[in-house]
Amino acid sequence: MMVGAEILVPDQADPPVVTEVTGMVGLAGELCGVLSVRCGKHCATKIASKMLGVPVSEAASNMTDAIGEICNMVAGNFKAKLDGVQDKCMLSVPTIITGGDYQFSSLAVGDRIELPFLFEGEALWFGLEIRS
Amino acid sequence: MSIRALIVDDSSVMRKIVERCLRQAGMDLGQVSEASNGAEALALVNENAFDLILSDINMPVMDGLEFIRHLKELEKGKNVPIVMITTEGGEKSVLEALSLGAKGYIRKPFTPDQVKDHVIPVLRSQS
Repeated sequence: MMVGAEILVPDQADPPVVTEVTGMVGLAGELCGVLSVRCGKHCATKIASKMLGVPVSEAASNMTDAIGEICNMVAGNFKAKLDGVQDKCMLSVPTIITGGDYQFSSLAVGDRIELPFLFEGEALWFGLEIRS
Repeated sequence: MSIRALIVDDSSVMRKIVERCLRQAGMDLGQVSEASNGAEALALVNENAFDLILSDINMPVMDGLEFIRHLKELEKGKNVPIVMITTEGGEKSVLEALSLGAKGYIRKPFTPDQVKDHVIPVLRSQS
């Protein structure tokens, strides 16, 4: 579940990567990396709508903030699950990029995982790039 | 009596969610003020009276822990109960917030019932 809606794993291996809104939270300290959330504008607006309890038509202005907060919560909960590291690892405030014409490069050389999910039928990607 | 609340979070969405949760919890909210960081919140506390403050920790400009430190030095702020609402769930952050004077700690994501369960006892203890 996420913001009151069921999150599904897509049937097909790779749903189209729609990158119109990207949220990122950095991790620094004993664990370094970046947690990211990417999705389309409509998906981001739907998430904002669910979070605020308002119609989708009234939620567009809050979509970037909503993605930033989702990113923040996922990163915070990820950090909290890491025994022995959580107090030695800090989170940045979220950064949001709108638009898809960019390339993402991290200085942290480590492992990278990115997983697709479906939020009310729309693709949402969670990524984690990490170096311990 | 209506509760005058100050909600401090750099996310405007989260500020609205917190306010909605307080209302859904059946709290009689009066004036609800919002600030996007600790520095803005301190300015509001200097000019207004509040019965309750709910604050994030991880914020730009001035974070929640620094905010509590300054708040407790203010004549108008030192007795206002503050509850932290944050993703920063590490034991160190929790202990630091509580040692600085926070009355409670709610971890995001949260439900209206969780907000109610943490906030009502804090308000009762003040009355």
